[in-house]
Amino acid sequence: MAATFFGEVVKAPCRAGTEDEDEEEEGRRETPEDREVRRQLARKREVRLLRRQTKTSLEVSLLEKYPCSKFIIAIGNNAVAFLSSFVMNSGVWEEVGCAKLWNEWCRTTDAIHLSPAEAFCVFYHLKSNPSVFGSCPRKNMQITILTSRHVTDYKTSESTGSLPSPFLKALKTQNFKDPVCCSLLEQPNIVHDLPAAVLSYCQVWKIPAVLYLCYTDVMKLDLITVEAFKPILSSRTLKGLVKNIPQSTEILKKLMTTNEIQSNIYT
Amino acid sequence: MASRYDRAITVFSPDGHLFQVEYAQEAVKKGSTAVGIRGTNIVVLGVEKKSVAKLQDERTVRKICALDDHVCMAFAGLTADARVVINRARVECQSHKLTVEDPVTVEYITRFIATLKQKYTQSNGRRPFGISALIVGFDDDGIPRLYQTDPSGTYHAWKANAIGRSAKTVREFLEKNYTEDVIANDNEAIKLAIRALLEVVQSGGKNIELAIIRRNQPLKMFSAKEIELQVTEIEKEKEEAERKKSKKSM
Repeated sequence: MAATFFGEVVKAPCRAGTEDEDEEEEGRRETPEDREVRRQLARKREVRLLRRQTKTSLEVSLLEKYPCSKFIIAIGNNAVAFLSSFVMNSGVWEEVGCAKLWNEWCRTTDAIHLSPAEAFCVFYHLKSNPSVFGSCPRKNMQITILTSRHVTDYKTSESTGSLPSPFLKALKTQNFKDPVCCSLLEQPNIVHDLPAAVLSYCQVWKIPAVLYLCYTDVMKLDLITVEAFKPILSSRTLKGLVKNIPQSTEILKKLMTTNEIQSNIYT
Repeated sequence: MASRYDRAITVFSPDGHLFQVEYAQEAVKKGSTAVGIRGTNIVVLGVEKKSVAKLQDERTVRKICALDDHVCMAFAGLTADARVVINRARVECQSHKLTVEDPVTVEYITRFIATLKQKYTQSNGRRPFGISALIVGFDDDGIPRLYQTDPSGTYHAWKANAIGRSAKTVREFLEKNYTEDVIANDNEAIKLAIRALLEVVQSGGKNIELAIIRRNQPLKMFSAKEIELQVTEIEKEKEEAERKKSKKSM
C-alpha cells in the first residue's frame, strides 16, 4: 500500500517477483527445525487454568463441580470496573482460579513463568450462593456479557456529535426471554472479538445469553462510562446480587484515582 | 470510503467531508471539560483540572490562559497545539495595541485564532489544530463576550457553552439552568459554572479551576479555598432544595 500525492491510497504492484510454481515447492519442504519451532509455539499458546495463590494448575473437572445458573463476564476495563465495584463488592466473592494464555501479540517474552498479575481472566464465585459460576454449559444457565466500544464504531444516520454518549445497547440470543434493560443494537452495527464469540457459542448451544455493549467516547477507565452500565442493575440477573449502591460508587471513585494514567498530550 | 480520503488534509471525500477536521474534533473530546458563561456584568471560565503527577509542578499545567489584560481563554484538546495558538494570539494582541493604540476586541482576537486554524485545514502537508477554545472578555464598550472556536476554524458567540469531554452533558445542564436572573447576579453566574462542572467532574471541588473577569477589572483566578467555599455553598443549597422537595411530597 502506498499513499499518493493526492491522498488516495493505491495498492503498489509487488516487485519481488510473481508467484512461481518453483517458489511454492521450495516453501513447502519443512525442515525438522521448522517442526520443532512450531511445536514450541503450540506449547506456548496453550491456555492454562490455574489457582493464583498456589500457582498449581486447575483441573477442568474441578471447575465442573461448581454448577452454575448465572455466568457474568466483563470484557474491557470499564466493564470490569463496573462489575468489581457494583457486583463484587456486595457479598463475598471467592477467587476460584484464573486463565493464562499467550500468543505472538503479547508483550511478555517469557510465557512459562507469567506472574500472577498477568492473568487474562480471573474466575470468581459467590461464597453464599455457589451456583453463580461455572465453566461448562448447563441447563438453566444464563450468561450476561458486559463490554464497551468506541462510539465512532457505531454506524448511524445521525451525526455522531448528537449521540448521547455513553449509551447502552443490547444483543441477545434466541433463548433469552427476559426483558433487556436498554434498546437493542440496530443494523448494520456488529459485535467483534470475544463478546461476539461468546454470544455465537451461546446461540449455537441454545443458552440464553445477553450482551450489553456500552458505546463511549473515552476508552480508558472513566467514571461516566462505568455509570452508563447502571441500568443493568435492575435486570433479573443482577438484581439479587447488588446490595450497596452508595458504597459501590465510593469504591468506583477510589478505583479511578488509583488507576489514573498520567498523559500530558491532551489537556 | 473514509480510509481512502483521510490520509491527506487537502482532500474532500465524495460526500463532502474533510475527515481530518472531523478527527481533530475527536481529539478535542479527549481533553477535560471547560465551561464558559457570559453574565451581565461578569464572564466566567471554569475547567476540570487534570490530575497532576506527584513530581510535577502544578503551575505549569494550566488550561486557562490570559491573552491580554482584558481577554482570556480556556482550551480543550492537544496541549502542544494550544501552546502554539496561545503564543500567536498573545503576540497579535500586543502587535495590535502597538499599531492601532487600542486593545483588541474579543471578536478580533477570536477571528484571528479562527483564521489561523482555518489556514491549517487548507495547507499542504499540515494537519488541523486539535483544540477548541472558549474566549471571554470585555470590550471597551463594556459589553461582555464569549466566543467558541473549533478545529475547523469556525467561531460563534455564545451565552454559555462547554467543550471537551462530556461537553454535551454540561451543555444540556446549562440549557436547563441558564436564566436571565441567574446571570444578572455575579455570584449566581459563578455558582452556575461550578454546578455545571460538578455534573461531570470526577472528584468534586478540588479538581476545578475557575477564572472570572468583571467589567473594568483584570482577570481573577480563584484559589482552591475560594472554590471549596463555593462548592460547600452549592451543596448546602442542594440539601435545602431536597429537604423542601421531601416536605412537599409528604
